[in-house]
Amino acid sequence: MNQYTISGTQRIILLVMIAIGLVSMGLTFIGDDDYHTRFWTNLLHNATFFTGIGLMATFFIAVCITAWAGWSSGFKRVWEAMSAFLGPGLLVLLVIALGTYLHWHHLYHWADESILDPSNPEKFDKILYGKKGFLNKNVYLFGTIIVGLIWYFFRYKLRSLSITEDSDQGHNFSNHRMQRVWAAAFLPIVGFTSAFLIWQWIMSLDSHWYSTMFAWYTGASWFVSMIAFTIILLIYLKGKGYYENITGEHIHDLGKFLFGFSIFWTYLWFSQYMLIWYANVGEETIYFRERHDNYPVLFWGNLIMNFALPFLILMRNDTKRKFGSVSFVATLVIFGHWWDFFQMIKPGALHSAGRHADHFNAGFTLPGFLEIGTAIGFLGFFLYVTFHALSKAALLPKNDPYLEESLHHHV
Amino acid sequence: MAKNTEVLFGLYNDEEVMMRAVKVAKEQHLEIMDVYTPFPVHGLDPILGLEESRLHIAGFVYGMIGTLTAFLGMTWIFTKDWPIVFGGKPYWSVPAFIPITFELTVLFASIGMVVSFYVVCGMGPGVTNAYLDDGITDDKFCIAFNKAEVEVSKVESFLSSTGAAIIKSKTI
Repeated sequence: MNQYTISGTQRIILLVMIAIGLVSMGLTFIGDDDYHTRFWTNLLHNATFFTGIGLMATFFIAVCITAWAGWSSGFKRVWEAMSAFLGPGLLVLLVIALGTYLHWHHLYHWADESILDPSNPEKFDKILYGKKGFLNKNVYLFGTIIVGLIWYFFRYKLRSLSITEDSDQGHNFSNHRMQRVWAAAFLPIVGFTSAFLIWQWIMSLDSHWYSTMFAWYTGASWFVSMIAFTIILLIYLKGKGYYENITGEHIHDLGKFLFGFSIFWTYLWFSQYMLIWYANVGEETIYFRERHDNYPVLFWGNLIMNFALPFLILMRNDTKRKFGSVSFVATLVIFGHWWDFFQMIKPGALHSAGRHADHFNAGFTLPGFLEIGTAIGFLGFFLYVTFHALSKAALLPKNDPYLEESLHHHV
Repeated sequence: MAKNTEVLFGLYNDEEVMMRAVKVAKEQHLEIMDVYTPFPVHGLDPILGLEESRLHIAGFVYGMIGTLTAFLGMTWIFTKDWPIVFGGKPYWSVPAFIPITFELTVLFASIGMVVSFYVVCGMGPGVTNAYLDDGITDDKFCIAFNKAEVEVSKVESFLSSTGAAIIKSKTI
């Protein structure tokens, strides 16, 4: 079977998931504080997480093309399909950016213009005044729009070249050469712009704080989740009878990526943590102080799910190859990185909403039912877009120059 | 391998031909002593029926020894033997121990695995190993049989029929 079709039950399940998400978001919005902080943080949390996965799928397609990598050609349509979420995801982020611009919410402390007035010493915030060239509503909104359009353009370009390659005649590889040009151009662009938007979207929630490691750290989270989603989708599709040519060998390599980049994520986590801990500068340590003292479950759970368990389980050769163990770890890691985003976003936003986590705050100190519901909604949305895009093209890119290498891949 | 084994072997010019020959040998129930190749040939191990190496299990154990050495060593040094205050940090500063713990884990695992590998293979400085032919470190793929354990005429006809370029015999 070379053509994927969404079955009726699948469509219903995904739509039910989306409905759960919408209901959860509605309930969150109703029972919320004046700023609707819980609603907006949930939206930001899931939108950044899933959009980032779409971005990383695009990024990894570009990496594979640039690096002459052949092993993944056989299932690159799965990445192309996942990258389709870039569009809808960026639209949700655009809503959040418009909210920042028009003050619908108060996620970002820097968006409060009254603190930037030097003539009002009572409220004046010197640090945010110094940052106002970067942290302001114009940069946030127009940065999101411009960078989002650039990302989407490259995603569109790579996808459409890959599709037209299917109907190529004559095998002169001119199409693939064009893909190489666009892919190589995308890599430095995504490197710098992703850091820019991660700082804007997520790091500026803790607006007095900054870390130069933060963008890489968040990017690694996205990347690991993207690999985990690839593994689960491939195993699922194989279970449905598609992709007979994709074997344990490919899963093994994806398992290595899952293992390796979980460790890479930990490396970045630790590099960020240890330098801040060692230097012991108050403005920097506050980020970890807050999370370590007031959100211990988030803080330690993050490390256990995203480092300790994947590291120990995937260390062996056969656990990377067996579909059961590798899909278990992939599921765990997706949840773990969703959890990671939760602990990045919630404490800072709670702070700008003028509250503190000195006692239990449903939806802030731990994900509550409404957070899980919202995540299910976004997961359904993400999978719906992915499966829809997957059904738009043949599963095997039959004119990809590396296809034969991929089909005979052996580790 | 015992000393003074008389080995009958065939040299193949191509790994694909050699791989097919190994499959034929398995079908004919010929007992292959060993296969020598200039580089690791993909897919050869399962055809030969070789068990998975246990070297990585040894590597894990060495790594754990490294982890414990570093962590317990630093713990003892900085809390009992010679406590020093660094930058106002507590004596037992776990985050500061992590990089060194990591380094010693890698060091113990890698050195331990290299030494184990050399010992198991009987290699080491000053050791001269017997070898069958110069070509197997260059461009030849060798299937070797222990002459004492196989029917010589059957093996010779097997080697020539499966495309061995050279068939030789050598005592090593």
